[in-house]
Amino acid sequence: MRAAAALVLLLVLPGTAVALTLTDQTGRRVSLAGPPTRVISLVPGVTETLFAIGAQDALVGVTEFCDYPAQARLKPRVGGMLAPSLEAMVALKPDVVIATTSGNREETFTQLERLKIPVYLVNPATVADVLDLIARLGAVTGREQAAGHLIATLSARIKAVTERVASLPRPRVLYVLWPEPLIVPARGALVSELLALAGGDSVTADGGESYPRYSVEAAVARAPQVIVLASHGSGQGAMTREKWERFTSLPAIKAGRLYTADGNLLHRYGPRVVDGLELLARLIHPEAFPGKGHP
Amino acid sequence: MSALAEFRGVGFAYPAREGGGGFAIRDLSFTVGQEEIFGVIGPNASGKTTLIRLLSRVLAPSRGDVLLEGEPLGRLTRAAVATRIAVVPQDVPQGFPYTVEELVLMGRFPYAPGRFFESEADRAIAGEAMGLTGVSALRHEPLDRLSGGERQRVILARALAQKPRLLVLDEPTAHLDLRYQAECAGLLRRLNREAGLGIVLVSHDLSLAAELCDRLLLLAAGAAVKVGAPEAVLEEATLEAVYGCRVVVDKHPVSRRPTVQVVWPNA
Amino acid sequence: MSPASRLGSALAVLALVAAATALAALFVGSAPISPRAVVAVLTGRAQAQGVDEVVVLSLRLPRIAAALLAGGALAVAGAGFQALTRNPLAEPSVLGVSSGAAFGVVLAQVFGLRAGLLDALGLTAFAFGGALVAGVAVYLIASRAGGLPVHTLLLAGVIVGIFFSSAITVLISIVDFDRLGGVIHWLLGNLSPVPAGALGVFAAVAAVGFWLVLGQSRQLNLLALGEEGALQLGVNAERVKRRIFIGAALLVAAVVAFVGPIGFVGLIVPHALRMTLGPDNRVLVPTALLAGGVFLLAADTLARNLVAPAELSVGVITAFCGAPFFIYLMRSRAVRLAP
Repeated sequence: MRAAAALVLLLVLPGTAVALTLTDQTGRRVSLAGPPTRVISLVPGVTETLFAIGAQDALVGVTEFCDYPAQARLKPRVGGMLAPSLEAMVALKPDVVIATTSGNREETFTQLERLKIPVYLVNPATVADVLDLIARLGAVTGREQAAGHLIATLSARIKAVTERVASLPRPRVLYVLWPEPLIVPARGALVSELLALAGGDSVTADGGESYPRYSVEAAVARAPQVIVLASHGSGQGAMTREKWERFTSLPAIKAGRLYTADGNLLHRYGPRVVDGLELLARLIHPEAFPGKGHP
Repeated sequence: MSALAEFRGVGFAYPAREGGGGFAIRDLSFTVGQEEIFGVIGPNASGKTTLIRLLSRVLAPSRGDVLLEGEPLGRLTRAAVATRIAVVPQDVPQGFPYTVEELVLMGRFPYAPGRFFESEADRAIAGEAMGLTGVSALRHEPLDRLSGGERQRVILARALAQKPRLLVLDEPTAHLDLRYQAECAGLLRRLNREAGLGIVLVSHDLSLAAELCDRLLLLAAGAAVKVGAPEAVLEEATLEAVYGCRVVVDKHPVSRRPTVQVVWPNA
Repeated sequence: MSPASRLGSALAVLALVAAATALAALFVGSAPISPRAVVAVLTGRAQAQGVDEVVVLSLRLPRIAAALLAGGALAVAGAGFQALTRNPLAEPSVLGVSSGAAFGVVLAQVFGLRAGLLDALGLTAFAFGGALVAGVAVYLIASRAGGLPVHTLLLAGVIVGIFFSSAITVLISIVDFDRLGGVIHWLLGNLSPVPAGALGVFAAVAAVGFWLVLGQSRQLNLLALGEEGALQLGVNAERVKRRIFIGAALLVAAVVAFVGPIGFVGLIVPHALRMTLGPDNRVLVPTALLAGGVFLLAADTLARNLVAPAELSVGVITAFCGAPFFIYLMRSRAVRLAP
């Protein structure tokens, strides 16, 4: 079907080598020579999604941060997210490079386009965007069916959580993305939406745009009943916990509800976002999700 | 013979913003003859330094004119002035990194400011100048390795490399010990007599000025108190009024020139 | 040895070293390309638009050119500024201009003040704008009744620099968490392959700056006598100061605009040259152009290969490698540090 369309396009548009024009998630038009068979992912969330929809054979290059699933670590590396090696990318002869406007640099896109390498940009900000991203990646790699299936499963899990917490009271939750300076999720942040879906009332929901710096005083003044500290695998956890445990007057500390959550589940725009949602739900409403234990 | 240099009714005040206010030089008029050794003496803040700056076109007079061989300095370019007037400062700035030869060659700049490198002719003239002051053997030494006296001679060589008509020396013996003071005085005399070089000598040392100079200008508070032969200018009463302390003017036992000695208080 | 012949020998040696370094840099990189393949590309025998050709000609060559140009520009600006201020600690960033340029770029990045993705030149315009504002500010603050006293120039430069650095800190504190990494990455100073058109503009601006500084090199020597001493030798001190300031500012602004802020080169290279070649600026300024380029090129080649495919910031390499080398030089030679 796709091949037929491509053939028609080839006949109809003389002289152009463009057989496939996509619109990426930022609205840009991306022109490819055909369905891509060699994809470089500069986004860990995208890497996870490609594996989840079974498109990993097309994946020829990933960043150093793409560590999930374990097989992703076997793919060729092209460097970090901020300064991936252009040479390494060119040498992999990609059909398209998938990147994000929040995490990669514009300079990188500019350089890639100058080298005539198409760049497909993504920038999911909501859960709906993440599901849309999965659908797009399915379309780009020809794995629409697997993508559709994955979306259906994820949607069902999300629905299960929201239904379970719908009638429960919403405790005040403080989510600490980064301890110093204090960075929290606010308007338009994915984590804010996840907290709401998990049945929590984020105390910083109106505190700015995206992930702003927040004053510790203001956070403490909201008397959160649950505090979730994002861990980034840096071993900073113990020190951060101590810092917050000192606020013994906070409801969250009094009730012993200071938790740590794996940041990779909550900050990567991939299928594990739903794992993160379920984790948050367990932390915020342990009574509604028994038997899974505290992380 | 027209005057080599002339101050005609010159007045100068530093801009108030830079700590000036009054006139550093007021209505000063004097001439320096060809081949004359002319001394400028006076207490601190009498305007001696300002006089040098006006003479070398570092400053322009607020009133009056400074003339060089009849031409107002203001009409000449700085480089042109530098080919006719060479100033010998007391020393080079702290940390001066160049060698003797490099410094002496700098004296050739005003002759061809547009050139990038000095010419062979420039090198020859510099060599001559170093010979005149006896520093040829030191040509590759960095200046900071030399003694005060040697440095003085090097700076003088640079001034001579400028092939000036007029040499202006600012306290040439201030940091020198006796031997170098004597050498310096002898050298200046030779240059004046053999090369016909006009010299303006600004000095604290009244006896040295009396010894070397044909005429003296006694400055006080920016104005001329007296101009004339050393015997005429160096009078006890005049000096006491200007310097504010008691002095005795005597005759040098060998040269018969005036010498000035302070009467130390509480003897 | 006369300065002219010293300059000639030094330039010949440096040109050889530069060519060798450039050639070596062409052979190493993250993409696995054999030396033979590189030679094939250079002699035009490689497959057109093949990976090898793209990597060597579109990635490595422009980056090498950018490194040579930026390093040379910074070193020349440093040499000129050190001689002008008679201060061995002076380096291009002391002018305040690099902070202004950096501020312009950060401002643009933080507020996403650009229309399209392919607007590399737009960012450059912001850098030049920032540099212009800073440079004019320094000039106006430092000027006194028709003159530009050196000590006020230094002070004004430092103050303006601090002001813009603080402004950058403020911007960083309000920037989106997403964008933060990119902004900080840029501020660390990183070379990237500059496209040919931009490289041309970069070279042209740097050439003007170099010409201004070179043209006053002899006068700079005389300035070591102090301004009064130089004036008495016929030097137009104010014109020298103006030209050196503008020349150095142009050079620094160009580097920051096209490549980003890179420190250390402008301080170290002139000093190292002074210790080996003497303080004559007529020799220093041209050799700084080559030596600075070689130094930055070597540092950048290391930066992009040490932990390939990840890249280190070139500023890290210049500091880590430059400092020990400089200490060695200081301790093993008769030091004629004062410019």
